[in-house]
Amino acid sequence: MAFVIVLATLPWWARDQYQLHLAALIAVYWILVAGLNLVVGFTGQLSIGHVGLLAIGAYAFAILAGRFEWSPWLSLAASGAIGGVCGLLLGLPSLRLPGFYFAMATMAFALIVAELTLALGGLTGGGVGLSVPGFAAPFDTPSGFYGLLLIVAILITWITWNVSRFPWGRALVAIRDNPVAAESVGVPVFRMKLAVFVLSGITAGLSGALFASLQSYITPDTFVFELGLFFFVCIIIGGRGSIIGPLVGTAILTALPELVAPLAKLGNLFYGLLLLAVVLLVPEGIGRLFEMSLARLRPERAVSHVLEPDKDRLAAAIRKGQTQ
Amino acid sequence: MSELSAEQVTKRFAGLTALDGVSLTVQPGEVHGLIGPNGSGKTTLLNMLSGFYQVDEGSVRVGGEDLSSATVQRRAQLGIARTFQKPRLLGSQTVLENAMLGGWRDRSAGLLQTAFGFPKVRADQRMLRERAGDLLAGLGLGHALNRRANLLEHAEQRFLEIARALALRPRFILLDEPAGGLTGAEIERLGSVIRTLRDCGIGVLLVEHHTEFVFGISDRVTALNLGRTLRHGTATEVRHDPEVIRVYLGA
Repeated sequence: MAFVIVLATLPWWARDQYQLHLAALIAVYWILVAGLNLVVGFTGQLSIGHVGLLAIGAYAFAILAGRFEWSPWLSLAASGAIGGVCGLLLGLPSLRLPGFYFAMATMAFALIVAELTLALGGLTGGGVGLSVPGFAAPFDTPSGFYGLLLIVAILITWITWNVSRFPWGRALVAIRDNPVAAESVGVPVFRMKLAVFVLSGITAGLSGALFASLQSYITPDTFVFELGLFFFVCIIIGGRGSIIGPLVGTAILTALPELVAPLAKLGNLFYGLLLLAVVLLVPEGIGRLFEMSLARLRPERAVSHVLEPDKDRLAAAIRKGQTQ
Repeated sequence: MSELSAEQVTKRFAGLTALDGVSLTVQPGEVHGLIGPNGSGKTTLLNMLSGFYQVDEGSVRVGGEDLSSATVQRRAQLGIARTFQKPRLLGSQTVLENAMLGGWRDRSAGLLQTAFGFPKVRADQRMLRERAGDLLAGLGLGHALNRRANLLEHAEQRFLEIARALALRPRFILLDEPAGGLTGAEIERLGSVIRTLRDCGIGVLLVEHHTEFVFGISDRVTALNLGRTLRHGTATEVRHDPEVIRVYLGA
């Protein structure tokens, strides 16, 4: 809660426009990572190509709002929808593939999108790129636009939190950790993977549109493949099956190299070292560190217990189910 | 009343015939024991009933409906639940969450309703939590609801798998060596659980190596050998069958 208040009041106490821009960038990235987190962190499908969906959302917004002069709101919604459709088209053939091949398919998708943004110059401006319109007042100033990003980011976070804590979330984790067990209780594994992947396509499309508007100019170089890896690494560092972990991961990975100059010089080396440190020291991610410190506050007493079934109670529970 | 049946089923793996024209029925409210030496096809038959393997010949039916080409999920929808030789739990999730997973077929909210936290999804959650809690209490796991499943002892894991299967509200439950790795006292408690399932009208298929346990609890027993039915009948009949004694029980 305090975290949200800090974020919401950021425009008033941020020291300069650059810090505000950085916070906006974290929010934009998070909108994508939050959706991707359901795919990677909860369902265990290792997509490294979501930068392709980000680019599609960004170009869709730039073309619709810029060239066709649609309203930015309509264009934003359309970008989300297009992201969702592309997620469906990518997920349909690839989500049946085993882990490694699925990752390769998403990589190939990102590379194809990158080539297409160059090749379809008539539409995308080719290597020259496109300028991207902003939103109308009150979202036309940096702090106003930041407010918009914050609203979308909070909404998306709430949605993914809901998905994760209700029966759907448990079924997704079951698909990740034990697909055979998931099937045995009737979980439609492929359909759920696809549904969540489409959801992540929508958030990637929205994120792309907002990202384009934030940058105000996009070229194919804006969407390098490393960005896709970056999103993936945010989740791995944050920890599987957690929402707060990947959020912190996204914030740290976006902000640290920018705020600490010596780290910026290290560039990708910084990400590499951080990833190595997390994988070796806290393989469950920094989200797990939060959980562990919480668990220390509420220690679970180790009670040795005799496993003693209660026949009558069991029968009552079964009969109750049979009448439902 | 409907029964779960395999009729003349045959299964081949790359030229090796694992099952050769085996038939078996499980009635509601009975325990059907399935015994046989290693490699006799017990687990293969269980996998064909639950849908993890497809039959090459013959058919699998429940109440006259042909399920031979139905998916695992479809069979779960129809109330066929199972456990596994090596418990398949979600180690990172709590005991309660593991059991709640079993009730998947009764949830009503889709992804969109879940995403926006509709009242329906909250009702699903409450219903599943209550059902899982009741079953876990009945199985003696009520003290461990919030423990991570990978911290459970072996017998607790076996019972948790049974709780998950029961949360499906099964008409039939297929138990794959549920006594494996349990102590004598734990096996007795397992026996009391299985009798309770039977008394509640659930059809139980019990695949098990522990023959004394099977004969003591089963209404009917099928003995397999090398993929064929060796003998089928009441526990007493099968136990005293000379062929069964020769092949499996030893003199």
